[in-house]
Amino acid sequence: MKIAVCLKRVPDTTAKIVVGGDGKSIDESGVKFVPNPYDEYALEAAIALKEKAGAGETVVVALGTDAAQETIRTALAMGIDRGVLLQSPGSADGFEVAKAIAAELKGQGYDLILFGKMAVDDYNHQVGVMVAELLELPCVSAVSALTVEGGALTAEREIEGGVEQLACQLPAVVTADKGINTPRLPSLKGIMAAKKKPLETKPVSLGAGSITVTSLALPPERQAGKIVGEGPDAVPALVQLLRTEAKVI
Amino acid sequence: MTRILPVKHQPGLPLDRLIKAEAPGAEAIEMDVLFVGAGPAGLAGAIELARLAKADGSLGDLNIGVLEKAGGLGEHNLSGAVVNPRPFRELFPDVPVEQLPFRQPVSGEAVYLLTEGGSVRIPTPPTMQNHGNYVASLSEIVRWMGGKAEELGVNLFAGFPVDSLLVDGTRVVGVRTTPAGLDREGNPADGYAEPTDLSAKVTVLTEGTRGPLAQAWRQWRGVGSPNPQIFALGVKEVWDVKKPLDRIIHTLGWPLPKDAFGGTFMYPMGPSQVAIGLVVGLDARDAGLDVHELLQKTKLHPLFRSYLEGGELVEWGAKTIPEGGFYALPDRFSGDGLLMAGDCLGTVEVASLKGIHYAVQSGMYAARAAFQALKAGDTGAAKLAAYDEMLRGSYVVADMKKRRNMRLAFKNGFYLGGIKSVLMTLTNGAFPGGQIHSESDAEEPREVRPRTPFVPDNTLTFSKVDAVFKSGNATRDTIPSHLVVGSDVPPEVADFLSHVCPAGVYERVGDELRVNPPNCVDCKATDVVGPRWTPREGGSGPKYRVM
Repeated sequence: MKIAVCLKRVPDTTAKIVVGGDGKSIDESGVKFVPNPYDEYALEAAIALKEKAGAGETVVVALGTDAAQETIRTALAMGIDRGVLLQSPGSADGFEVAKAIAAELKGQGYDLILFGKMAVDDYNHQVGVMVAELLELPCVSAVSALTVEGGALTAEREIEGGVEQLACQLPAVVTADKGINTPRLPSLKGIMAAKKKPLETKPVSLGAGSITVTSLALPPERQAGKIVGEGPDAVPALVQLLRTEAKVI
Repeated sequence: MTRILPVKHQPGLPLDRLIKAEAPGAEAIEMDVLFVGAGPAGLAGAIELARLAKADGSLGDLNIGVLEKAGGLGEHNLSGAVVNPRPFRELFPDVPVEQLPFRQPVSGEAVYLLTEGGSVRIPTPPTMQNHGNYVASLSEIVRWMGGKAEELGVNLFAGFPVDSLLVDGTRVVGVRTTPAGLDREGNPADGYAEPTDLSAKVTVLTEGTRGPLAQAWRQWRGVGSPNPQIFALGVKEVWDVKKPLDRIIHTLGWPLPKDAFGGTFMYPMGPSQVAIGLVVGLDARDAGLDVHELLQKTKLHPLFRSYLEGGELVEWGAKTIPEGGFYALPDRFSGDGLLMAGDCLGTVEVASLKGIHYAVQSGMYAARAAFQALKAGDTGAAKLAAYDEMLRGSYVVADMKKRRNMRLAFKNGFYLGGIKSVLMTLTNGAFPGGQIHSESDAEEPREVRPRTPFVPDNTLTFSKVDAVFKSGNATRDTIPSHLVVGSDVPPEVADFLSHVCPAGVYERVGDELRVNPPNCVDCKATDVVGPRWTPREGGSGPKYRVM
């Protein structure tokens, strides 16, 4: 089985974000970058599926600047076999990114193409499903459990108030939600091995796209909390404030 | 008055865990030289060694590894810091000084004696003159050095703390990393990763301040020192500010009691950021002395407040500093298959408030000694002792010797200490002759004095809980405790520990001691005077970016 995992390099979710001078991008100085956490679920799923099958190949594909090589190495250290970097500064238009990735994946004989359900930096939820469409493959998004057997997959999705179970023939595209697995940490041996694994870089140029970011703003500062009182005596005052001030009940 | 003798309540070092008479497992990763700790000493050593091996060529490609307990490089490194660039010039001859990872040159300096609400500028002591030095973040220096090491083919392993030294007879033959993914009871849980063994011809301990392996190795090999090592605790914050600071500031006096040794600092880190910190000896008499709280009060002093007001706390951190100086250096810096460099060896000179450049330099000497030993095919104690000679013959130990009694003079109070230290400076250390003897910090008795609780305003001053959040610490809550705590801790000792620890790991609840291990930021303060710190799962602890 041949599996591709698409990976994005994103700012650490705990990083303090500062809007850059242009007002449209983030100031990257001093920010730590990590693999997109949802993509880590996809990486783990790919590695585990190959381990279970006992054969096959796993390939990680990232679109980004040269700095994303480090992110790809992390995936290789986890156990992915080889990496491809599509060199590009990226685009705010997910469709442009999807086209470049689809062009890379097309005709390569992948049985399964995995994404995280979204990237935590732009929250677009777009690229995985668009790639599926471009490759004319079935797509199951936001998957929280996945098994592959006999050329078909079964998946679970957590939907409002329940779980949906689906089945689909391979090849297919799956985007991973949290809960699907616990991504492994790279081992020392994995880090050593990753240095010797192939990492191919290919410059790509994205189209201008139809979407541009006009501005970025930080969320408003949160107001300080208020302690109404202590014990049961404070309950009426709390209920009152929840009604009149917070307006949540 | 209630008195406490901390050592009476301190458990011993868990030697059987830190030193194991076992060969590295069959699956062990083979290294030629392994550095334990990716700080300035370990990375300088790895870089120097990689260069030596390349230039010489006769040993082929050396396998050089650097293990680091933090999840990412620089995340456990903290210093003031005003850096002397001397060894950086030697280690990176092709990098112009303005491209070194420093924030800015020292453009001016002032020393003040503080009173509550007031300040008097005093002449800058000769030892504290910083012309030609640079303000920097050690986290940033370390990340930059890591990049340089990687370019040279050094294997950097961030997120892998060392649990034990593996020994064969008297010889260190490798290390074992900590397991990851244990539950509270220490059983393998989801995401469990077993320990990995690494073998090495030479293991270089560059663990940083109060390193458990260096302590354990010295205890095991019986390597003493003229005086025990003594420590200070530094708590530091970085702030985004609206008003630029135009000079480096050091202060003495308030808010410290007269029988505590220490002072505050404020350094500019470019036009819109400052570092502010307070460093206090861990031998202070007052059992209620709380460095975090005192730093919070310090920020309200008019000298500092005007810079911080309207600004924002970016990051908070804490770290101990080995202050014992020359007489606390171990009798040996090396053994069979082993070298020690940087803070775990004690290469800090207190009078000039410097350690980073000594750490870098000692790491480079360790690399040279290791390289010569590898070339000779003999990494035994006799061969590696060349390192002791190199370091003892260098400016590192010469500087420390010149100021050998300076810190110790302050053991008997601030003002007398001040007078003695002036005489020592004037005489290059000859006054008063001989060695001032000192006890370890845990052997210094404490007095329980009345204290008023501090209430943070959440604008300029913050609680320990908020501070730990600002260290980036996101250690998993279900981690087993890495702290070895005595079984029967009296309430007054619980109080004492709650004040020593800047991160709220220890709390007194009723008459009991409550321990919150995930809060720990690896400063090692309580390891000095109380419960023992041991290595835990990789990536735990703070995630400093600009410390």
